[in-house]
Order: sequence, then C-alpha cells, then structure tokens
Amino acid sequence: MTQSPAQALLARESRVGFGPVPHTLEGTPMPETSWYLAGDEFLLRAHGGHYMHYRKGAGVTIERGPGARPEEEPLWLSGSVYSAIACINGFVPIHASAVCHDGAVHAFTGPSGAGKSTLVTALAARGLPLFSDDTLVLDPSGEGPLLALPGHKRLKLTSEALALTGAAAREEVGGVVAKRYAEPEQLWTGGPLPLAALYFLEAGDTCAIAPLLPSERMLRLRDGHYTTMQYAAHHQLDAAQLFAHLARLSAAIPMQVFRRPFAATRFAEGVACAEAHIRGKDTPTPSDERQAGGQC
Amino acid sequence: MLTKQADIFTETRIEDEVVVMLLSTGAFLSLTGTSAAIWERIDGTRDRDSLVAGLAGEYDASDSEIGADVDSFLAQLREAGLIAGD
Repeated sequence: MTQSPAQALLARESRVGFGPVPHTLEGTPMPETSWYLAGDEFLLRAHGGHYMHYRKGAGVTIERGPGARPEEEPLWLSGSVYSAIACINGFVPIHASAVCHDGAVHAFTGPSGAGKSTLVTALAARGLPLFSDDTLVLDPSGEGPLLALPGHKRLKLTSEALALTGAAAREEVGGVVAKRYAEPEQLWTGGPLPLAALYFLEAGDTCAIAPLLPSERMLRLRDGHYTTMQYAAHHQLDAAQLFAHLARLSAAIPMQVFRRPFAATRFAEGVACAEAHIRGKDTPTPSDERQAGGQC
Repeated sequence: MLTKQADIFTETRIEDEVVVMLLSTGAFLSLTGTSAAIWERIDGTRDRDSLVAGLAGEYDASDSEIGADVDSFLAQLREAGLIAGD
C-alpha cells in the first residue's frame, strides 16, 4: 500500500536507533516517567529504565538503562513518543481510539479507563475497521474537513476488556500497564480519511448520543492528557493561545457525547448503539435538540 | 460607558455560543441568546440605558422587560471583574 506524504513523514521520523540519551535537563536528573519537549526535541525517561530521545530529522534514539525490558518499548514508542513526533512535525494528536466507516473516521475519547479501546475492539468485530488506538493524529494542513491519519493498530486491553470483546490476547504490554496486546478483527489498511465525528465517552443509565455546546466540547478537550500538553509545549501556548487552539478544534470537528451504561453486563448495548449511530441507523428522537444525535 | 476588562479574559464565538475564559482561573463562561447579545454590545460606546434600548428594539420587548435581564447579567459580569463602567 502506498503511504500518503503525511504517513511517510511520520514513519520516517519514527525510525528507531540505539545510543546514549541525555539523562539530565540543565544538570537536573529527569524524574522517572517524565518527559520534556521544547522546539524540535523530545526527551522521555519512561518507567523501567527506558530513555528515549527524538530530534526532528534524526528519528528516535533509545538507551536501555539497567533492567530495561525491550518488550516494553512499543508502549512508549506508540504512545508519548509518537504523540510528540506528531506535534513537532505539524500534526495534532488527540487522545482517542477510532474506527472507520463509509470513508470517514469516528473517534472515541475520554479519560483513561473510559473504555475507548474496548469499544473500538468490539466495533471492529462488527465490521467497522480499526483505524487507530489510543492516539489519533490529525493533519490540519489541508482545506476542508480535518484528515485523520491511520495509527497504531495493536490494541491494549485489560483482562476484562478481553473477556467482553472476545479478542485474542497476545503478549503483555508491560511496564505499569496491566494489559495485553490484541489484534482487531478488521483493520483499516488505507490512507488518511476525514474525521466525521469525535464522541466523548461518559457513563449513563441508558445509551444516548447527544450534541454538545462548543463550551462543553472545549472543556472536555482540555483534558490534561499528554497529547494536549505536548502540543502546547511545542507551540509554547499560553492559556489564551491554548483556548484558541481548543476553539479551532471545537469548530472544526463535529463532537457529541456518547453516554452508555458502564456495567459489563450491558456492554453489548453500548456497542450496538455506537454501531447503529455510525452506520446512520439509530432511531431519531423527536427533540429538536437531539437532531444531530440519536437514541438506541 | 460599559467596557470590558480585556486583559483578564479571552473569548471565542462558535456557532451560537460565545465562550469567555477567565485567564486567572481558566473558568469558562458560556453565553447564548440574550446574554451573548448583551456581551457583544459592551464595546465602550454604550451605557446601561442605551444597551437596554437597543436590545428592546431588537427583541421587540419593553425596556422594563429587557432591563431586568440586562441588570442581572451586568451584575454577574461586574462580580466576575469582566466589565467596568455604567
């Protein structure tokens, strides 16, 4: 498959080599599980003795400290390192997992533990190919709808999520994360696609998808996740500039809240609701306020 | 004249909503409908009475009806430190 220029750029910048990596910043040792991003450079001291250093044009250098387990490296490379590379190269990473349908991307976001990966795993098993897990990179350079870039396809699922979705477990993710890798049943192998919608996952008594006011979208986007913090760090955004950035995203991306029961026994309801909505088959509601949403 | 304290907030309009953020706290103020209309007319050229008169004409309401809403909203904005003047 031929990659788009954006995909090729990210792939090129993500190439990995091994060598010494700085352990200090201005003479001060970096705390464990900390990162530093300034200009075109990103430095990570990850849990377990991993040091990773990205410089634009030079790829990623990894230094394995004492006790570092190589099998843990993909966790960081596909997470905060990937996100930093995206920021530094003109893209906008967001904390979301996504599937695609009918030529467009539907992404799900929410705090860690909200069930993003679990949901997209289940949707992929129902014929909506996985587009990206955990980090979704947006390309703001073109005209028209924001394009999303296909991302990392290895799912990271808890034992409960594996049981709920029936996904086949692979090796442990490692580090402090009690998850296993899993492969999606269907996978998007094409190029970038327009982002059709971003759904904020929240718990609710019944399944419902409803529109959000712009202020509600901006508050949810201001989530303190490293994707947002890295973007702000690279662009040296103050509070007003970050506000403007969140406003642009809120104006550019259709966003809705997706509330569904969090209980495992009702997981299938939420999946069915999401699938119906994405396929345009959910039941319309009489309320004018919910014309853009739906109830399952 | 009513003026905004421009150095303490930032704002944006998206669709039918004006979103104001206090820079010191990061708190958001969501303004729609009449509140958005009042906020956007505070530009240093109007006092309270001319604000009320303009909105009464636009919304086809009496000065007394609009006046109560305007006074209430202006009080909130003054308490937040967002505006000055009369």
